[in-house]
Amino acid sequence: MNADPRFLIVDDFSTMRRIIRNLLKEIGFANAEEAEDGAVALNMLKASRFDFVVSDINMPNMNGFELLKNAKADESLKSIPFLMVTAEAKKDDIVQAAQGGASGYIVKPFTKATLEEKVQKIMTKLS
Amino acid sequence: MGHSDPALLGITAHAGAAAEPAHDGGDDIHRRIGQLTRTLHDALRELGYDRPLMDARDNLPDARDRLAYIARVTGEAAEKVLNAVDQARTVQQELSQHAVSLRTRWRTVGSYTSGGKAATPAGKQLIDETCDFFSAVDDQADRTNTILTDIMMAQDFHDLTGQVIRRVLEMAKSLEEQLLRLLIETTPPDQRARIEPPALEGPVVAAEGREDVVTDQKGVDDLLATLGF
Repeated sequence: MNADPRFLIVDDFSTMRRIIRNLLKEIGFANAEEAEDGAVALNMLKASRFDFVVSDINMPNMNGFELLKNAKADESLKSIPFLMVTAEAKKDDIVQAAQGGASGYIVKPFTKATLEEKVQKIMTKLS
Repeated sequence: MGHSDPALLGITAHAGAAAEPAHDGGDDIHRRIGQLTRTLHDALRELGYDRPLMDARDNLPDARDRLAYIARVTGEAAEKVLNAVDQARTVQQELSQHAVSLRTRWRTVGSYTSGGKAATPAGKQLIDETCDFFSAVDDQADRTNTILTDIMMAQDFHDLTGQVIRRVLEMAKSLEEQLLRLLIETTPPDQRARIEPPALEGPVVAAEGREDVVTDQKGVDDLLATLGF
């Protein structure tokens, strides 16, 4: 993992994108970009290098599962870890995310400590 | 009521028929559903229930606009809070950095005076207390930052409530379409023109495309200016 990993935050609500971005900055990851849905995120992932994706699931145009599926099917993107952050706490969704290749899953509302723990855990696993 | 009641017998007979397998296959079931639907439409019209249906359908767009308005206004409020949090963080950061810088400088002065040079007991005590104060400022800035993080995190209500509102909006839209379809089917062709949404009074929550409303204070002031105020 890069020493200054570049994050992509995907959420259709700008408030949540901003909260996650600020939290990542607080825990030491200031290098982050934002996308408002899966389709925009996929284009950004293909256009430039990202090291980590934090993605919502319920979004218009392309949801988080579809984004995850597309990224994992792409040879150049499949190694990027995905942390799914969603208000959905359905078991089926969690299973689907795990089977789809997500590295972690956080249910909203969450705390700074939870985000930090999940991000660090994924980082440690990859390093 | 005895078993000789014709109404009861009629219902029993229908229920028995419904419980039997449809020997004629899917076509028969569709025919029977069609008959039931037609009967329901006729009954609604004869009983005058088309008016409440129309009212319900007419009120749904307004309800949807109001929900969308709530989502928009709460979103704007959350953004304002996040802006304020960012500004407060910057102020706290500057305060903290200044306190650390001054503490370092005063400690240098303290070291100098503790060597017996130009140190009075009162002066030394003042230096120590000043250093303690600057340390406290730094600690308090950290605590304030923690509180600001809590305030920031609390704004996630917009995302959570927004998702619920979006689902209700989708449901209301679907319900509205179904009610409209039902209304059209139960209204005689020559009266269908009366199925028009009403103009409801109240706060303007969807001003787009409307020329009869203003959307902000500038609009009010401009209008008043044209009237000579």
